[in-house]
Amino acid sequence: MIQFLLKGILRDKSRSLLPITVVSIGVALTVMLSAYMEGAFGDMIDQNARFETGHVKVMTQAYAENKEQLPNDLAILGVDELTESLRSDFPQMEWVNRIKFGGLIDVPDENGETKGQGPAAGIALDLFGANSREAQRLNIESSLVTGTMPTKKGEALIGHDFSEKLNVKIGDEVTFFGTTMNSSMTFQNFIVSGTIRFGAASMDRGALIVDISDAQHMLDMEDASGELLGFSKLNVYDDDQTQEMAAQFNAKHTKDDDEFSPIMLPLREQNNLGPMLDYSNMMSGIFIFIFVFAMSIVLWNTGLLGGLRRYQEFGIRLALGEAKGQIYRSLLMEAVLIGIIGSIVGTAIGLAVAYYLQVVGIDISGYMDNSTMLMPSVLRAKVTPGLFFIGFIPGLLAMVFGNMLSGIGIYKRETARLFKELEV
Amino acid sequence: MNKESVIIIENVTKRFPVGEGEFTALKNINLQFKRGEFTGLVGPSGSGKTTLLNIIGSLDSPTEGKAIVLGKNISDLSHQESALLRNKHIGFIFQVYNLLPVYTVFENVEFALLLQDYSKEERKKMVMEALEWVGLAGMADKKPDKLSGGEGQRVAIARAMVKRPEIVIADEPSANLDAANTHAILKTMKQLNEELGTTFLFSTHDEKVMGYLERIIHLRDGAVEEDEIIEANIINR
Ligand SMILES: Nc1ncnc2c1ncn2[C@@H]1O[C@H](COP(=O)(O)OP(=O)(O)OP(=O)(O)O)[C@@H](O)[C@H]1O
Ligand SMILES: [Mg+2]
Repeated sequence: MIQFLLKGILRDKSRSLLPITVVSIGVALTVMLSAYMEGAFGDMIDQNARFETGHVKVMTQAYAENKEQLPNDLAILGVDELTESLRSDFPQMEWVNRIKFGGLIDVPDENGETKGQGPAAGIALDLFGANSREAQRLNIESSLVTGTMPTKKGEALIGHDFSEKLNVKIGDEVTFFGTTMNSSMTFQNFIVSGTIRFGAASMDRGALIVDISDAQHMLDMEDASGELLGFSKLNVYDDDQTQEMAAQFNAKHTKDDDEFSPIMLPLREQNNLGPMLDYSNMMSGIFIFIFVFAMSIVLWNTGLLGGLRRYQEFGIRLALGEAKGQIYRSLLMEAVLIGIIGSIVGTAIGLAVAYYLQVVGIDISGYMDNSTMLMPSVLRAKVTPGLFFIGFIPGLLAMVFGNMLSGIGIYKRETARLFKELEV
Repeated sequence: MNKESVIIIENVTKRFPVGEGEFTALKNINLQFKRGEFTGLVGPSGSGKTTLLNIIGSLDSPTEGKAIVLGKNISDLSHQESALLRNKHIGFIFQVYNLLPVYTVFENVEFALLLQDYSKEERKKMVMEALEWVGLAGMADKKPDKLSGGEGQRVAIARAMVKRPEIVIADEPSANLDAANTHAILKTMKQLNEELGTTFLFSTHDEKVMGYLERIIHLRDGAVEEDEIIEANIINR
């Protein structure tokens, strides 16, 4: 019988073409959007991790509460020892110190008079360590517009746009003004070794990148650091694992009555990324739901039209001795067959587009100039194994559901009425 | 010869709801049909021929009275049971030959057998035999739209006959056929009636068809007006 149905579907284009097209389009969109979301959210979370949050981040409780103000007076003291203990407690992670600091960048002219000033958003990280992957993690090398990476103490990278505005050249000296950990004024000269543009507006405004030892020195932060970031050595964010690790660390180190005791926050608990993570997991579900719903309605109606056209066939089949239930079931069987064909076609199309997006991406930097959110400026899709079958859920569900609804007409009609359609 | 009755109609009345009220399409009909009859229901349009054939074919059931077909009371059958009765024992031929357009001649006839447990080889043998009865064995692979009206109706006869039913119901089978084709299909059916002993029940307006009938039941306004035996057409069996 299935063979018979399949023959019918393949030979009767009007019965198969429209539903297969509808299913294919819906499935392709589901696959594409899921891939796109997967890619966009994945990129976004990855960027946040690399630039901001780490997979986990250790701060003092007080720092964590005020971290937007970059309160280095609340930094972790004795950070070398803490880092060592983290390395031995959680060897699956790579642990790095970072200091974020604010202040002013002053550009002097040849007489030492101020030529121009701008706000500085400083990041200090381990640039010189032999095994440090920090530069790589922040994509510094590929974000360089001019010049080179700092190679020794006293060298710094500044934002390219800032350097253009104030006409700063490679090798020029700029002065950083700021406050130390103990709230006294400090200034420090840096030789500009290069200019940088990350492509994320929030990163590029007033960028000043220096080695952590320079920052510790000028900010009076010897053996101290604002933030201690952990990155999985496998470079994948595992939500459950990091939460477990944080719980374990906090149980041991975090004390309610000491706001300078350290606390470990997983990525999920920083920068509102938790809802984002949940959202990204939920998105596919939402797409599937929307498409199942919309496609079901379309397929229901095409099924109704097709069904009307086929009342003649149903009449013949009733006369030949099929029961209504058998006809109904065979309709659903057809729906499954069409759903499978449509899902295969749609998945193929969707994956092809997703793959294109994965390789080429969509540049959204034009829309991002004033955004403060840390977002990648090229959105990319990501082809994951799940995509190979995610489309089958809406494809099959919608087709079967649509036909279930339209097929009810067979039951509603009197046998003799269906049969009457045979009379011309 | 005293043959058993395969169809017994007892005090059958059929009413259809029409708007607020009801329309009585059959009024207290009493009839019996014996095995091997070649009988026609004749009457003006709207006299109830199709309604009565549908009840006998278990596609519909009487409002009052009993219709007993092959020992089964139509009113008592479930959907499945009436489907089974049609599947095994009743063949239908319609006014328009009504083949499924996407399937070949062979597949159209085979369809009637798919619901029963015949093997592929058995089916093939039975289908080809049925196509030979109607002289269309050479057209097995054609699609219905390549057939003439007469050929199409012959395929429909093959489809009705392939499972060798006990009763064949033919509702105005010649309505869309010319004279030559009408004579051809009636000869074929008459021959099958004689060879296989199948009971044939027609409805018709057609004088040419009446020329073959052994018994003519005249219906008017849902009632039997006359029940006439045509001795001349009865072949001694
Ligand atoms: N489902 C129905 N609902 C309402 N009225 C019906 C229904 N089926 C048949 N009728 C009415 O019952 C009467 C008998 O109809 P039927 O189809 O049996 O006539 P017929 O003798 O076959 O006519 P024809 O020669 O035109 O085929 C007609 O008046 C028809 O309108
Ligand atoms: Mg009729």
